[in-house]
Amino acid sequence: MKATIHLSRVLLLALVLALAGCATISKVERGQQVVKDRLVVQLDGPWNQFDGTLAGTWPTWTVEGQTVDRLVFVVGLKDGGELAPPLPGAKDQRPLTFRANMQPHEIVALYQAFLTRDGSTFTLDKLEPVRFLEGSGFRFRFSVVRRFDDVRISGMGYAAVRGGELFAIVYSAPRLGFFPRYEAQIDKMAQSARLRG
Amino acid sequence: MKRRPFLMWGCAHCALLAASAARAQVTPPAAWTQPPRFAAPHPGSDEGGLWAQMAREEQRLRRGASVIRDPKLDAYLKAVSCRLVGDHCEDLRVYAVRTPLFNAVMAPNGMMQIWSGLLLRVENEAQLATIVGHEAGHYLQRHSVERLRDAKSRSAAMTFFAAFGLVGALAQLLAVAGLYSYSRDQEREADRVGLVLMQRAGYDTREAAKVWDNLLDELKARPGADPEKDSILFATHPGIAERRDALVQMAQPDGEVGEAALREALKPAQPMLLADELARGQYDQTIALLDRLVAREPQRADLRYTRGEARRLRADGNDVMLAVDDFKQTIALAEPPPAVYRSLGLVYRDQRQRDAAVQSFSRYLELAPDAADAGMIKSYLEELPS
Repeated sequence: MKATIHLSRVLLLALVLALAGCATISKVERGQQVVKDRLVVQLDGPWNQFDGTLAGTWPTWTVEGQTVDRLVFVVGLKDGGELAPPLPGAKDQRPLTFRANMQPHEIVALYQAFLTRDGSTFTLDKLEPVRFLEGSGFRFRFSVVRRFDDVRISGMGYAAVRGGELFAIVYSAPRLGFFPRYEAQIDKMAQSARLRG
Repeated sequence: MKRRPFLMWGCAHCALLAASAARAQVTPPAAWTQPPRFAAPHPGSDEGGLWAQMAREEQRLRRGASVIRDPKLDAYLKAVSCRLVGDHCEDLRVYAVRTPLFNAVMAPNGMMQIWSGLLLRVENEAQLATIVGHEAGHYLQRHSVERLRDAKSRSAAMTFFAAFGLVGALAQLLAVAGLYSYSRDQEREADRVGLVLMQRAGYDTREAAKVWDNLLDELKARPGADPEKDSILFATHPGIAERRDALVQMAQPDGEVGEAALREALKPAQPMLLADELARGQYDQTIALLDRLVAREPQRADLRYTRGEARRLRADGNDVMLAVDDFKQTIALAEPPPAVYRSLGLVYRDQRQRDAAVQSFSRYLELAPDAADAGMIKSYLEELPS
């Protein structure tokens, strides 16, 4: 049981550090921003980017706090790449692998698997074609019941595949109050998105 | 040492049923005496505080979004638990919770959660009773109180609370890490008590071993998986064959299985259970599960469709070809879900089979004009080359 005990200490330490404010938070100013050197977006207001244990692989921003709302940027996920690493202790789980020939439905299923791997539940509310990154893309709306606090989350994402790479902007927040507050802002930001160079 | 969250989430309380069966032979199950109903503990005691905490969590669960609100299912689960625990019937409250993982959780105040992933996997009432009986065993033996009093460090106490699905990032992290479980001795005792309860209630105890077998088959489905070698559960307990043999020896024939009763109780929830299973993205396990379910009920279109969709999304080897077979067979059965036409259309679109794609997508929109993805499907139809 040593591995289990070790993991518990690591997780506890990570959580304590995060809750104590030791997770790295940096301000993202309004105006034009470049995410991972490739995705250019125009911001109406400031955001906060957080890194560390509670963030994922991809740049993740928040306005209200990292356990409340999240704006995730998937930038240039290549064919065969993984959307996210496995959860701690879940190395036996099927990896969340992106394939360049995925259709929008399959990309949504991939994101759905990412959001539900902790036992949360996902419902697709809307999937429609939109213009994104100055070309064809799609927009999806979803609802999640978050397992860890039983809160109903609403989410929306814009995504497109360019040159065999996946680009996506996904926002999620509690359905009541928070999500409606930022929905229009996210739409505007996503519509401003373009690739650099 | 590798861990398997699926097992941790799914088996921390339940799957050790089999593990302790071998030892249960040492103490004949019939020797156990059921305790009388418990009085509520004094509010000032540690146990009283624990009950108060659990009462608050139960209130939160009742109001929350994840509890499955199905009065008939509630009544059925209640009936199964009452049949098992007799005099304690009024003290146990069973909630079906929408979480697509194999798990059940027992709180010391009598709140029991049965997760939807478990409901999808049990094949009959006797298998459900295996789980409910095991969880009731924890309650009747007051294992939580023992556990609380053993929780001497702060981290251990937090881990303890996390086990009951309490809210908060800490609880979640700890639960994901699979840190909590009852002690092995407590699990053995709960197994033994559970089997006694099943036997006295007239259930076929041979079904307990099948719960174990079925779960193992799923865990082995992932290529390269070796539960016996990799899993913390299997690594620290006797071999599978030993456990299975022990269960077979303990089994009491001629009990009730109750397949039809379970099927009827779960019928309204089936679309949700299957959709949630698919959403997990664990297609190897899902296909293994659906292989079993399809074999049991080959006439069910929803099962065959779900297996086909899992194959289509996994898309390994000849999966897509097998998926198309499943979709075609689904359509030939009664009440095929409209989504089967969408899935076929997606395959044909990917294979540049224009006419077949158009036909399938059109049929989907005809059957489900208000579908969430109708706009996307219409765009596919517009862009398909003529």
